[in-house]
Amino acid sequence: MPDGRVSSAAANGSSAVIAMRAVTKRFGDLQALGDVDFDLRPGEIHALIGENGAGKTTLMNVLYGVVSRDAGTIEANGKQVDIRTPQDAIELGIGMVHQHFKLVSTLSVVENIVLGQGGHVLVRKRRLAGVAERISELGERYGLRVDPWAKVWHLSVGEQQRVEILRALYRGARVLILDEPTANLTPGEADGLLEKLKAMVRDGASIVFITHHLEEVLGSTDRITVLRAGQNVGTLVPADTSTGELARMMVGRAVSLGGRSRDVAALGVEVAAAADRPAAQAAPTAGSQAVLTVERLRVFSDRGELALDGLELSVAAGEIVGVAGVEGNGQAELEETLFGLRKTAGGRVLLDGVDVTDEAPAGLLARGVGLIPSDRYRRGLVGQLTVAENLLCDRIDKAPVGSRLRLRRKAILARGADLIERYSIPASGPAQLAGTLSGGTAQRVVLARTLSRELRLLIAAQPTRGLDVGAMESVWEQLEAARRRGLAVLLISTDLDEVLALADRCLVVYGGRVIAQWARAQLNRDAIGLAMGGAQPGGRGGDGTDAGLEAVTGAG
Amino acid sequence: MAVAVSEVAVSRRPVWGKRARATINSLVAIILALLVGAIFISIAGASPLPAYRSLVSGSVGSEFAIGQTLIQAVPLLVIGLGLALAFRARVYNIGADGQFYLGALAAGAVAIGLPGTFGPLLIVISLIAGALAGGFWGWIVGFLRARWAVNVVISSLLLSYIATYIFTYVIRRPLRDSTASGLLGKGIPDAAQLPLVSGFGVHIGLFIALLLVPIVGYVMTRTPFGFRVRMLGMNPDAAQTTGVNSGRLIIVLMVISGGLAGLAGAIQLAGVADRLDPTLSNGYGFTAIVVALLGRLSATGVLLAALFLGALNAGGQAMSINDDVPYAVVLAIQGVFVIFLLVADRLARGR
Repeated sequence: MPDGRVSSAAANGSSAVIAMRAVTKRFGDLQALGDVDFDLRPGEIHALIGENGAGKTTLMNVLYGVVSRDAGTIEANGKQVDIRTPQDAIELGIGMVHQHFKLVSTLSVVENIVLGQGGHVLVRKRRLAGVAERISELGERYGLRVDPWAKVWHLSVGEQQRVEILRALYRGARVLILDEPTANLTPGEADGLLEKLKAMVRDGASIVFITHHLEEVLGSTDRITVLRAGQNVGTLVPADTSTGELARMMVGRAVSLGGRSRDVAALGVEVAAAADRPAAQAAPTAGSQAVLTVERLRVFSDRGELALDGLELSVAAGEIVGVAGVEGNGQAELEETLFGLRKTAGGRVLLDGVDVTDEAPAGLLARGVGLIPSDRYRRGLVGQLTVAENLLCDRIDKAPVGSRLRLRRKAILARGADLIERYSIPASGPAQLAGTLSGGTAQRVVLARTLSRELRLLIAAQPTRGLDVGAMESVWEQLEAARRRGLAVLLISTDLDEVLALADRCLVVYGGRVIAQWARAQLNRDAIGLAMGGAQPGGRGGDGTDAGLEAVTGAG
Repeated sequence: MAVAVSEVAVSRRPVWGKRARATINSLVAIILALLVGAIFISIAGASPLPAYRSLVSGSVGSEFAIGQTLIQAVPLLVIGLGLALAFRARVYNIGADGQFYLGALAAGAVAIGLPGTFGPLLIVISLIAGALAGGFWGWIVGFLRARWAVNVVISSLLLSYIATYIFTYVIRRPLRDSTASGLLGKGIPDAAQLPLVSGFGVHIGLFIALLLVPIVGYVMTRTPFGFRVRMLGMNPDAAQTTGVNSGRLIIVLMVISGGLAGLAGAIQLAGVADRLDPTLSNGYGFTAIVVALLGRLSATGVLLAALFLGALNAGGQAMSINDDVPYAVVLAIQGVFVIFLLVADRLARGR
């Protein structure tokens, strides 16, 4: 990086708590890390950013002893160390909170925290009580309050994350690694977490913070290291950079997000600006026929609880309706129910005025409903099949790729290659196995399959979850294009920035029903954030309807 | 049932290195199995070398022995093909033995009940009746699964017992052969018996079985139906989301695998037993599960596995007759062979 502001890692080596030098790691043919230098100074929050597959998590897994390095050295407090297992890392005072929590959901918080600490065959109640006291103490100090005796499966995502952090602190971590800690939190919770991290840093801890959110990086970290394709492309100070520059460093080129040609700098930072969309692209005129109408929908979750409780919404042609909300407020069930994957317990679903409640996916596909599933690996792709087969599996018995009694292998490959080109899918070819695709490429395959059908309604659930900026850009552009083509688009997303950037109307679901909605011109980040928390930030179990939400105004 | 459905993509070619490794692994597995088997034979008080000589001569040592191997392989092949197809979708039908008996019963009842004026058509009619009966028994399992999510493994196994007892009841009462000393059902008329192929003493059911190999292979790998079956097995959620009607597909697969098991029962009755015999199956419905898995759920793989287990059956019988090895030990040795081969296969694939 020919950039004057990029600090020389070696120059700061002596004052670093952790200094990683020339760390290299290969997975088969893939160079995950190539000669990466990274250092962490005492008492800093150091952000580690980069696209999917850039090596952020791998680098930290090397530090935590989960992944062995092929070459390079690690120094802790100036002394060379050899970290081979997480146990080694923990002894050196390094703690890591993984993106996917490593908790046993049927055990209590205390049990999870003592789990894996050797030396005790039996876990004595008295010992647990001591641990519980210490946890409460730590929780009090850093505002990470959680009931030590609660079973983990009773806890919300945010609370489970607190348990993970408390576990690391309990084990004496002075260096804390957090892998995408804000991915599943509401904006309010994320801000709260950042405050708590600052408190820990004031007490002398050092923190590595892996994230996708450029805004967070600028707002609350001391230094930023950008990785691209396993290389350290620079370490910067927030005051000297911008989201635009960071995005360019991550991707290696300029990026623009969304069909509204907004700069990446606006990614969640300047939401208000998004309201001034050209008139030609304005929301559909009032009175246009609703493509999708959902009436008083009631649906049970797998656990037998009422996940959707009288949910109502409608989507017109040429409109993107965004459904915002914290994970677990019925979004997953809404997605499944609208695509016939889950039975309703009450209410109706109308498509162009026709009742399609509880119709099977095959029938809905034939009626022009498309789904971008939130879990693209479980619902979207078959990993052991090729990219071409995945692109065509919903029309495998139709010309030109097949007939009732025959698959035309050559036609499948040719047509697959065709779609790969048309939708710019960066796969090595139509015969590549889908299971080997990166997250962004996998999502492009799902989008290409869905959008190459004749569609009336597109349901996009968490379409950019876990994707890097480049892939996100492509997905957003395609959703915009679908809207321009006159499709009705229902965007279900826990990423508020995404909803704000794309939606013509925004609904907030809480406790299985829509508790607030806004037209595009009235979008207000704070009000939405408040509604996502059920209008009572931090409060749980309250009834969303009588929460005194002033923002509840029918719109559009 | 833990052996995973093999992942077969349309466009992948086998890698030579892998194949060579698989062959070496299989050879090592067979040698190890022979060694362990030798211990069993010694414990049973016989000497291993002559016993193994009988195993070989009794399975491939003469025209007659080869014929015996083929006769044993036919039901394993016919049932195994249907199971391989269903297992690809992770529809684990383990009740083929009952479907086999019910197929034999239906074929026998039709052959005994219809007048002899049908001539050779009688064979065709009774084989179809056998396939329909087995298919119906499979349909029940599929319907329960599609409608109320009843576990296929459990319901197919339990229905298998019911089928076996129905067979026993019928040959005890309505179709009992009162002239026989033991418990035997009535014989079927000559017109309903399968003609023999000259030379090896094998009935023409062998050709039906061999004809099914390319048909099932084609259906599995070259048709949209087979594609959906594989998709359902690899990722049922994705299959459903892209328009596969999984409930209907499971029913169809149960009807096909049950139908083929029923057909195998009808063939066994018309080609080998010639009467409703309570020992008609010799455990074919269960051995065929091993055949399907050992054959990696591919049609040609099932053919090879059926021949191998058929040879073990034929040779094992020779071993127990000539060398005084108890039949229980013969079965144990067969089990050892299968376990070693499955482990070798697993290791060759590398996990």
